[in-house]
Amino acid sequence: MTNREGDRALEPSHCPTGAAAANPRTLEPSSPALEVQAVVKKFRRGRGLKKRITRAVDGATLTLPRGELFGLLGPNGAGKTTLVRCIATLLIPDAGTIKVLGHDAFKDSLYCRQRIGLLTSGERTLYWKLSARDNLNFFAALYGLTGKARDKRIDYLIELLGLKDVERERLERYSSGMKQKVSLARAILHNPDLILLDEPSLGLDPQFARFIRQFIKEELNRKQGKTILLTTHYMDEADELCQRIAFINKGKIVDVKTPEQYKRDIPHTEVLEIRCQGQPDTAPIQALPGVERIASEFKDGVTTLKVVAPRAETVLSEVIELLRKGGRILGIDIKQPTLEDVFLYVTGTSLGADTAEHKPEAQ
Amino acid sequence: MSFAATTYVIRAEMVKTVRIYFAYPIIIVFWAIFPVLWVLPFLFQGKALVGSGSSAAFQQLTGSGNYMAFILIGAMVSNFVFSGLWGVGNSLREETYWGTMEYIIASPTHPLVILVGKTLSEAAITTCIVVLQATIISLLPFGIAFTVAKVLPVLLLVGLLMLGFYGFAIALAGFTLLIKEVHGWIHTLEWVFFLFSPIRYPVQVNVITEFVSKLIPLTWALVAIRAIIMVNRHDVGLWKIVGVLLGMDAVLLVGGYLTFVALERKTRRDGTVGMH
Repeated sequence: MTNREGDRALEPSHCPTGAAAANPRTLEPSSPALEVQAVVKKFRRGRGLKKRITRAVDGATLTLPRGELFGLLGPNGAGKTTLVRCIATLLIPDAGTIKVLGHDAFKDSLYCRQRIGLLTSGERTLYWKLSARDNLNFFAALYGLTGKARDKRIDYLIELLGLKDVERERLERYSSGMKQKVSLARAILHNPDLILLDEPSLGLDPQFARFIRQFIKEELNRKQGKTILLTTHYMDEADELCQRIAFINKGKIVDVKTPEQYKRDIPHTEVLEIRCQGQPDTAPIQALPGVERIASEFKDGVTTLKVVAPRAETVLSEVIELLRKGGRILGIDIKQPTLEDVFLYVTGTSLGADTAEHKPEAQ
Repeated sequence: MSFAATTYVIRAEMVKTVRIYFAYPIIIVFWAIFPVLWVLPFLFQGKALVGSGSSAAFQQLTGSGNYMAFILIGAMVSNFVFSGLWGVGNSLREETYWGTMEYIIASPTHPLVILVGKTLSEAAITTCIVVLQATIISLLPFGIAFTVAKVLPVLLLVGLLMLGFYGFAIALAGFTLLIKEVHGWIHTLEWVFFLFSPIRYPVQVNVITEFVSKLIPLTWALVAIRAIIMVNRHDVGLWKIVGVLLGMDAVLLVGGYLTFVALERKTRRDGTVGMH
């Protein structure tokens, strides 16, 4: 890596961003920021006779033009993180191709890694015994940032993310939100063209989550023009931030649309939401005429049941009658469809569900 | 990545490792008391076994009756080897514990460069400890004196010995990336070395240990180092031993590198980079 590359990693106002600025030899202006083509990733689980294979990602195909803020929305275990790890070259897929700015992620992995910024969920991704500045100094070295260019870039990011007062303190004294800010600074430290954000607001208090979302949308995407792939299982987050959203379920990309298109396409206007004690049998409700889909989530002894029907009030009395046999009804609500309801309609799975163990194959 | 950028990463890794190392207050206590305390068990053991610190039976096997010097040199050199194994073999394991391994693997820097940085910082820390130990035992009446004529060939031998062991430790780091366990491996190796190389006793006491010991570079290095320091003999075939160590180094370094690269790739394929 040359000093020229180090110099480019200044604040956006001081230098051009993107691969073109870094190395004109590798300029491919027509290529999208990211192309994922028929990617399959299988994992082996269990041992001996219990050994089986699950497809964590099952033929995923995506194209992100430069400058897009794209969401990957799905429940826990849908394959979002696995796909992000494949794009970040942390995982080698079993099939398919991934191209970053027109370069094959595995044949030209060094180039792609230099162009990708990564943020994974969880706060244990930094050196807690080091300060924010020391952490950033170390990771800057991994990306070839040295000397004054590095110092200037780190100064800029520390200022931008409001870490100035605590930059010399060890991370072990930081709150989760503060650590996430440092993680975000690390993800954009080398001024990448494509930023992968895996559940960036997971586990953060509302104030920090709001800051992180605002920063992603306004600073990184709108102001700096970065291409961002954001995974989340918070439908509010996807709805608020993303220009397009892919629904991913059981390893498959089910659909890709804008949030508005999704909401417009849903062929009904109401969702019946019922909370009741215990875990009622939902099969008779599913069998009712007029009920298209149902999803249930059980938490702390209470089941939240969502019934999708062309007209919710037409099935309301029958649903109540069936549920009363199983236990006490705590609340009933008829709602306008949200992105979460659209997800349920399209995939038949609730975003709150855990689908980690899906699609086993015989060994 | 250019040579300058690579050396910069190595330096950054060394700075990081040393900062984290000294971030734990117990390390300061360790540095204050360990160099003095470590010698005491050997001193007491020697006194219990041979009384005055010299033994005729021992003289027959080794050419020197100075049991204390024999065992202290063995302990110092083996300290070097074992802390290298622990430091390097365990280092990537630490990164997975800290949750930072994925970010290293996802960067354009090859993880081997990081491992070289870890190796050098581990070598620097261990060298400081061993120099302290050597200074203390040279001040005590064990019949061990370090002169320039003795120290230079010893440094050459220790350097060659460690080169091979670091190659081995790099392979071990690859295994820990994959299987997420290192303690069992290193404890087993420690006991293999204790059994089959002349750390605590001359391997000539048993035919099998004498035979197997020749396959371990530590044996060759210890024989030469003891001859130089204890009996001031440079005629123990120093260059032959240097040649043997160089050969072993080549095998261990190349083998270590290939093993690491293969296992790192397997880890990416299995999807277990960040697991611990």
